[in-house]
Amino acid sequence: MDDKNDIVIVLRGITKYFPNTIANDHIDLELRRGEVLALLGENGAGKTTLMNILYGMYQPDEGEILIDGKPVKIHSPHNAMEYGIGMIHQHFTLIPVHSVVENVILGIRPRRGERLRIEEEAKKIQQLGERYGLEVNPYALVGQLPVGVQQRVEILKALYRNARVLIMDEPTAVLTPQETDKLFQFIRDFRNRGNSVIFITHKLNEVMEIADRITVLRDGRVVGNILRAEASEKKLAHLMVGRDLLVITKKEATEFGPTVLEVKGLEVLGKRGTKAVDDLSFTVRKGEIFGIAGVSGNGQEELAEALCGLRAVSKGQIILSGKELTNKDALSVIQNGVGYIPADRQKEGLITDMSVAENLILKSYFDPSFVTYGWLNQRRIQSTAQQLVNDFAIKTPSLATKVKALSGGNQQKVVVAREMVIGTELLVAVQPTRGLDVGATEYVHSVLIREREQGRAILLISTELSEVMSLSDRIGVMYKGKLLKVIPSQEATVEEIGLLMAGVVEEDDG
Amino acid sequence: MDKFNELMQNFERSVRERMRRRDRSGWWLALAPVFSVVLGLLASGLMMLFLHNNPITVYGQMFSYSFRDIYNIADVFAKATPLILTGLAMGFAFRATLFNIGAQGQFYMGAIATVVVALNLGTVPAFITLFLCFIASAIAGGVWGAFVGFAKARFNANEFLVSMMSTYVAIAIINFLVRSPLKEAKGEYPQTDVIPSNSWIPKLIPHTRLHWGFIIALVIAVLAYVILWRTSLGYKIRAVGLNRDATRYAGINSKKIFVIVFLLSGAFAGIAGFTEVNGMQHMLIQGFNPTIGAEGIGIAILGNAHPLGIVLAAILFGLLKVGGNLITQTSTIPSSIINVMEGFVMLFVILSYFIQDKITAIKSKRKLRRGRAVQ
Amino acid sequence: MTVIIGLLNMGVRLSTPLMLGSLAEIFVERTGVMNIAIEGIFLMGAWAGFVGAYLSGMLWVGFLSAMIMGVLFGVVYGLITVKLKQHQIVTGVAMNIFALGFGLFLYRVLFGIPLLPLTVNPLHDLPIPFLAKIPVIGKAFFSQNIITYLALILMPVGYWVLFRTRLGLTLRSTGENPEAVDAAGLNVERIRLLAVLGASALSGLAGSFYSIGYLGLYTNGIIGGRGWIAFAICFLGNWNPLGALIGALVFGLADALAVTLLTSGFEVIPHEFLIALPYILTIIATIARKRFNVPAVLGSPYIKERG
Repeated sequence: MDDKNDIVIVLRGITKYFPNTIANDHIDLELRRGEVLALLGENGAGKTTLMNILYGMYQPDEGEILIDGKPVKIHSPHNAMEYGIGMIHQHFTLIPVHSVVENVILGIRPRRGERLRIEEEAKKIQQLGERYGLEVNPYALVGQLPVGVQQRVEILKALYRNARVLIMDEPTAVLTPQETDKLFQFIRDFRNRGNSVIFITHKLNEVMEIADRITVLRDGRVVGNILRAEASEKKLAHLMVGRDLLVITKKEATEFGPTVLEVKGLEVLGKRGTKAVDDLSFTVRKGEIFGIAGVSGNGQEELAEALCGLRAVSKGQIILSGKELTNKDALSVIQNGVGYIPADRQKEGLITDMSVAENLILKSYFDPSFVTYGWLNQRRIQSTAQQLVNDFAIKTPSLATKVKALSGGNQQKVVVAREMVIGTELLVAVQPTRGLDVGATEYVHSVLIREREQGRAILLISTELSEVMSLSDRIGVMYKGKLLKVIPSQEATVEEIGLLMAGVVEEDDG
Repeated sequence: MDKFNELMQNFERSVRERMRRRDRSGWWLALAPVFSVVLGLLASGLMMLFLHNNPITVYGQMFSYSFRDIYNIADVFAKATPLILTGLAMGFAFRATLFNIGAQGQFYMGAIATVVVALNLGTVPAFITLFLCFIASAIAGGVWGAFVGFAKARFNANEFLVSMMSTYVAIAIINFLVRSPLKEAKGEYPQTDVIPSNSWIPKLIPHTRLHWGFIIALVIAVLAYVILWRTSLGYKIRAVGLNRDATRYAGINSKKIFVIVFLLSGAFAGIAGFTEVNGMQHMLIQGFNPTIGAEGIGIAILGNAHPLGIVLAAILFGLLKVGGNLITQTSTIPSSIINVMEGFVMLFVILSYFIQDKITAIKSKRKLRRGRAVQ
Repeated sequence: MTVIIGLLNMGVRLSTPLMLGSLAEIFVERTGVMNIAIEGIFLMGAWAGFVGAYLSGMLWVGFLSAMIMGVLFGVVYGLITVKLKQHQIVTGVAMNIFALGFGLFLYRVLFGIPLLPLTVNPLHDLPIPFLAKIPVIGKAFFSQNIITYLALILMPVGYWVLFRTRLGLTLRSTGENPEAVDAAGLNVERIRLLAVLGASALSGLAGSFYSIGYLGLYTNGIIGGRGWIAFAICFLGNWNPLGALIGALVFGLADALAVTLLTSGFEVIPHEFLIALPYILTIIATIARKRFNVPAVLGSPYIKERG
């Protein structure tokens, strides 16, 4: 039934081993001309690895690749580009200190005798952008561009090399709902011109919106391959996870405890001296989860750092249960009972080369019960660590195992366990489920809800809208350093929050 | 007594755990240094052929002479003494991911301090004099090192460059001092007078050069171990070295740690000045022991920045030095062969690290292919 | 006045190996690799240059030998750090210790223990016809030898290559974000390896300047840490050849000042202090420099397929 000429790419039996896992396990995949194929799976399912193989950045241990029916060996991205394959990575492969032009032309081998003329290249790039609706200033320094525009540069890199297959890895992670719409417009337009797109994602709603066909990966294997017409979110979720998803049930609370955190008129300066946080005010009460939504880069990071004692506050106050915490150093903040689950656990929350036990006491080195006259009380440390491992079901061969050997979910459990102990007054959670699989995500959510029911005050900062909406009691939207509006979660709608995330404040009717 | 037993048990357990937990495959771990030394000696042997010397006879003579009498065997440990300390200087700092390349300079400053104290305490009882010399050398080296740490903490200066340059400044200072203020009474050579006998470190084995400084060096090594793994300071040092960002979030003041680390590291190197001046030379000579700083770096590398490994590596280097000296005495091969041997051994050890990693990777891939996941 | 002109002339002369060495270091560090073996390569370059010139009777053979020797060392260093991905500082230190002994050792192999130190006639000056007559500057810059002229030309050329050509763009990108370069289809390892080899050749040449370009002999103390000064200049010049040019001239001048005061017999300041002057300057400059544009991934090996 399928005209064989319609098939652009075939992957057959692709297998890839990594030090501790089988990332891709004999994967078969087909891509047709003029189609948008969604590659769906949760974090760690092997989607990015597979596409890196197609793009020539990794070499498969077994299997073959066919392009237009002919077997090929893709040794490097250069090969891939010669076959018309381009890839937009999740973490941009751009050089922030160089301009757009310099980034786009990087690596292009000139024909004989052709010298580098920046002005000509810039013009070509500008015209290309206009043709596809991806306008950009060629001389701008990439590092100073907003993330959505940086992504355009990445796409232009591929278009500049005449890509007819675009691989996009989680492209909407950094976009507002409105920017996502624009991206989808481009994808449809690109497909309608006879090209193909492989769209990697773990978001079910996007798949239903943009894909023509869906291939589902789980634990490195293909578990499903269906047309969008035959698919539903429930079916896809079931394939992705192997079971039905848990539904988060949160008791609606009618009254909350006293105010624990009060932020008044906060102003925090960012990296370049601009106001990253601008006249921000909000409160968090006992037994409440206050969620801050917003696209990354609108000051959430700086707000969290200020609350932690890691960034100076230029104006305003931070008050914790009546105690002034503004501009106190990180150690004081910790000693006052503020727990912090950071966005990047491996960089900010854990020392991956240290053991589980050593990580669990990372914020207790000053605690007299663990340290006497500078001497570490090993017995106490071991027993406390064992207790936490039991309480939080952290899967680890031993307390002495280095944290880097643990799975992402278990690593996050170590962070959560530790911060629960520290954060007796307030818990700040930033992107707590980033990079976690569904099981670990469900676990973290259940812990947050359980703590809320036991009266803990929690501040949740996340760019995952669904997470913020399902967990929070009240939601604030941050845009360019300001808190645009605070809405009780029962009244919040995706549309309104999406607009707020883009800076559009609707006039209240009535 | 119970506490002592418990300490010993903990120590034993942790050593066994550590050896088990090592990322590198077991049997290769033990044999690799041996292989590297053998290869290093082989390569140096090849060099000897260029000088029309038969490496087999040369090495044969070297081995027979070194074990012939107690003097040479003791000399190995005597030579290892300052190397343990400069190795610890580099290794300790390395635990905080700091590069103290200035051990040579800190050594010299320690040597100056101890000589000044020794020359001016003529009639004070030996015990007190030695103690004061020891303290002086530790403080001098510590302060000289702390300067680097301070530059890093306060100005975010590159400690690699600052510590390296500080050595050359120390050399200039020492050369100046032995040229005029501290010069010997005779005024012939650029060196100080011999220090009075009450400041000589007593010998460990009579009629050899081995002195109690060796024991001091071992004690310092144990001290370094205890600090790093048994105290909260050491915990903070290792944390800063492994992930500086995470320590910020944990409220650890890494800048303070930088200064403390360089202070201790410099003190270790300074104490080497004490052991060399009061134990071996009994005076300060211009340009003495010019390479123990660089060799300390090599030893720290070979010893994996761990006190036990450093001690063993230092003894190895001591062996190379004594052996090398014997070679120069019994053949026409120049003393520079020692540095050649040291360099070869280090390069082969580096290669062995690579082979270890490769073996581990191949092993785990093979396991996966058989369908069993590794955990 | 003549003293000052002589000083300037010597300053530019002594800055030559610092220029070459720091330019080499800039190019290699821009790709993300530190050439820690630079001091050892300087030393081996000095040795090879001397041996080549002495045995053949021609200076250019010496310079060529120095470059070849540099490349040989660079091959070992490059393979271990770039291909085998071992630690750069560790490997560099090992090679420096090795070079210390090796140079002396080979000298003995070739020449035994000569009664009088062996010498070679070093480079003589080639004053440029009109320019040499310009007061002050003429004597300083245009009455130099051919290697110094080469160095003075290479610095601005290096700047142009680094910032105005595709090659330079590739090099700089490799040190900022090797993943981006990899994703663009280029071979990161090959780029770095070639940079190491080129830098080593240039550093070998720089080292040989001391033995056959200036002094005319070889002793084991001939380099005395100046390879490290070139290393520092790369740093202090902000990885920019023009900055390094200024840095090299400053340090060359400091060196010349020290030598001049030493030989003049004035003991205003203890001469050890003068000898230490360049090193003290480096410390001060390292502390004072507020913002550095360090290549982002300097020192880290590039590991593909991290999974």
